[in-house]
Amino acid sequence: MEESKEILAEGNAAEGAASLKDLSTFVPEAHRKPGELGIAAITFLIGALGYYFALDMTSGEYSSPSVFPKLASTVIMLCSAVNFFRAVKREKPEATAPSLARFLFPGDVVVVLCFLVVYCIALPKLHFVVSSFAFLALGMIYLQRGKHIVRALLVSAASLAVLVAVFRYLFLVILP
Amino acid sequence: MAQNLQYFLIPFLQPEMMLLIWIGVFAGIWVGAIPGLSVTMAASLLISFTFSWDINSALALICGVFVGGVYGGAITAILINIPGAPAAIATAMDGYPLAQMGEAGKAIGLCTTVSVFASFVGIVVLAVAAPVIANFSLKFAPRDFFLLAVMGLLLIGSIGGGDPIKGITAGAVGVLLSMVGMDPSTGELRYTFGNLYLMAGISFVTAMIGLFGVSEALTQFRSSGMKSPKQNLDRIIPSWATFLKYLPLSLRSALLGVFIGALPGTGGDVAALLAYDQAKRSTKHPSRPFGKGALEGIIAPETANKGAIGGAFIPMLTLGIPGDAVTAIIIGALFIHGLKPGPMLMIETPHLFWMIVSCLSIASVALMVLGLISVKPFAKIIEIPKEIVMPVVIILSVIGTYAIQNSVVDIFYMIGFGIIGYFLRLYGYATGPMVLGLILGPMLDANYRRTMQGAENQILPFLQGFVTSPISLFLTLSIVFLLFSQTATYRRWRGLE
Repeated sequence: MEESKEILAEGNAAEGAASLKDLSTFVPEAHRKPGELGIAAITFLIGALGYYFALDMTSGEYSSPSVFPKLASTVIMLCSAVNFFRAVKREKPEATAPSLARFLFPGDVVVVLCFLVVYCIALPKLHFVVSSFAFLALGMIYLQRGKHIVRALLVSAASLAVLVAVFRYLFLVILP
Repeated sequence: MAQNLQYFLIPFLQPEMMLLIWIGVFAGIWVGAIPGLSVTMAASLLISFTFSWDINSALALICGVFVGGVYGGAITAILINIPGAPAAIATAMDGYPLAQMGEAGKAIGLCTTVSVFASFVGIVVLAVAAPVIANFSLKFAPRDFFLLAVMGLLLIGSIGGGDPIKGITAGAVGVLLSMVGMDPSTGELRYTFGNLYLMAGISFVTAMIGLFGVSEALTQFRSSGMKSPKQNLDRIIPSWATFLKYLPLSLRSALLGVFIGALPGTGGDVAALLAYDQAKRSTKHPSRPFGKGALEGIIAPETANKGAIGGAFIPMLTLGIPGDAVTAIIIGALFIHGLKPGPMLMIETPHLFWMIVSCLSIASVALMVLGLISVKPFAKIIEIPKEIVMPVVIILSVIGTYAIQNSVVDIFYMIGFGIIGYFLRLYGYATGPMVLGLILGPMLDANYRRTMQGAENQILPFLQGFVTSPISLFLTLSIVFLLFSQTATYRRWRGLE
């Protein structure tokens, strides 16, 4: 009986998951995504540059330091070429597809990335507590669209206090 | 025998040691759960912390942290798709989809139960067969480690996200990045471009935190407004029927973990990845497809990395050779306390061997209790709105990255990897193979070149070695079989398609 309940629960859960789109799993689509050719070209360039710089390394023997860099670079170039031609074969991005910039950087991602870069630059100057509090509070306020400002400030302060207490004083970890 | 039993009972008769083990497990769970904070780091901190302590108390605490820490890595892997440690990368593949279905409690409960079982498998093998396995593991030549790394790379088929070519691309980029820095055998600088920071190479933990942590946060921000899944916490402890159903897989993966853990230089991370791959290939009817919440995808890596704990102690206690980074630190602790780890350790100080076996056993029991108590609070974390939890995840990623070598530059690397991981995910390139390439790249490179140097840079003697040594032959045939098992012919024959 318990087993059948478990199986039933698993079935319901699976239905719930079907509606989720998992970006980490490749799903073949008829139309290519905006910039898909670009990313294949970039990985090819990484492979080509990897091979080019490996030419400066000691070579000449099968056990030279350049063997694996060259091998990995070649694999990247070959696979990127395959990825590129497979993307070319597929139809162009749909007319309704967002522009490349919009596809790569929707509003929230741009804002969070900006916060993140500013946070990292400020970190050595303002130190951990001040810069992290600002990042947490601003991030939470923005992501909640300006609602619950007091709650965001309180949660930021509380979570930062816990993090500092646990890491600095319990685990003796040095904070940035 | 009676004497050994006496040694085994030492920690049971000392409440202080018992308490230290429990504290160690509790702290270990949290240290393990936070990406960047590793068991190795915690163990090295404890060495200085316990310098003036009695060796028994120091070992009790370190054993507790070791067991708790390896388990803790799975918690964040399941809850937020950010493995707390490299050994939990494979766990995230199926653990996170389960959490997204509201089954985080069930996933962590199952993970805890099988972890304790596997931990005991490792301890039993350590207690019964340590000298035999230690001697066998010493027969592994660089060629065999190279073959093990190749086997690991075949995992790309399992964790490549459904497109093998894109998986191989990401894996090869990972291998290429792992070449950055000073070549350990010749001292030659590779891809450093005169940059001082690049000379030390790229830490795969930094890359892992970025590729899994920050890229996950950025990906989540694409779908703002989506509610966090409500978690079902009615039944977190798996039934006996479920436990027994998965017992053969648990045992198989735990034994694989013990063996891989016993090999010097390889640890729970390689064991977990190999076990995941093995489970994916051998399971005919998984509870759900692999990568979409298969329970087998949690059981195999989690049992393997717990089995590897006992395994890592085997060469350490019998030969004085560390099985992994944590046991290397424990060897240091033994030296500090005036002991001489080596083949004579078990003869001169048998009490130490049995006491470690005992500490690990108590730690496993503590893990069962503390792990199951923590399931509900841990599972509740996932119900917190992501607008609140994701900024905290980013801060945790920053703390974890900085803690590796106290470098702000590492934080920039980590964010760079996060952005790369975000782009890769957008275009269907899984991030797992890149981390796999970063982990296995140095192992492939160093062992291939050692083998080739041993064959005096001649192709024929190099290839001959793969068929003349029994271990190499077995591993070569295993690789051939693994490749064959990916063909449609084999899958049809086995009824996997």
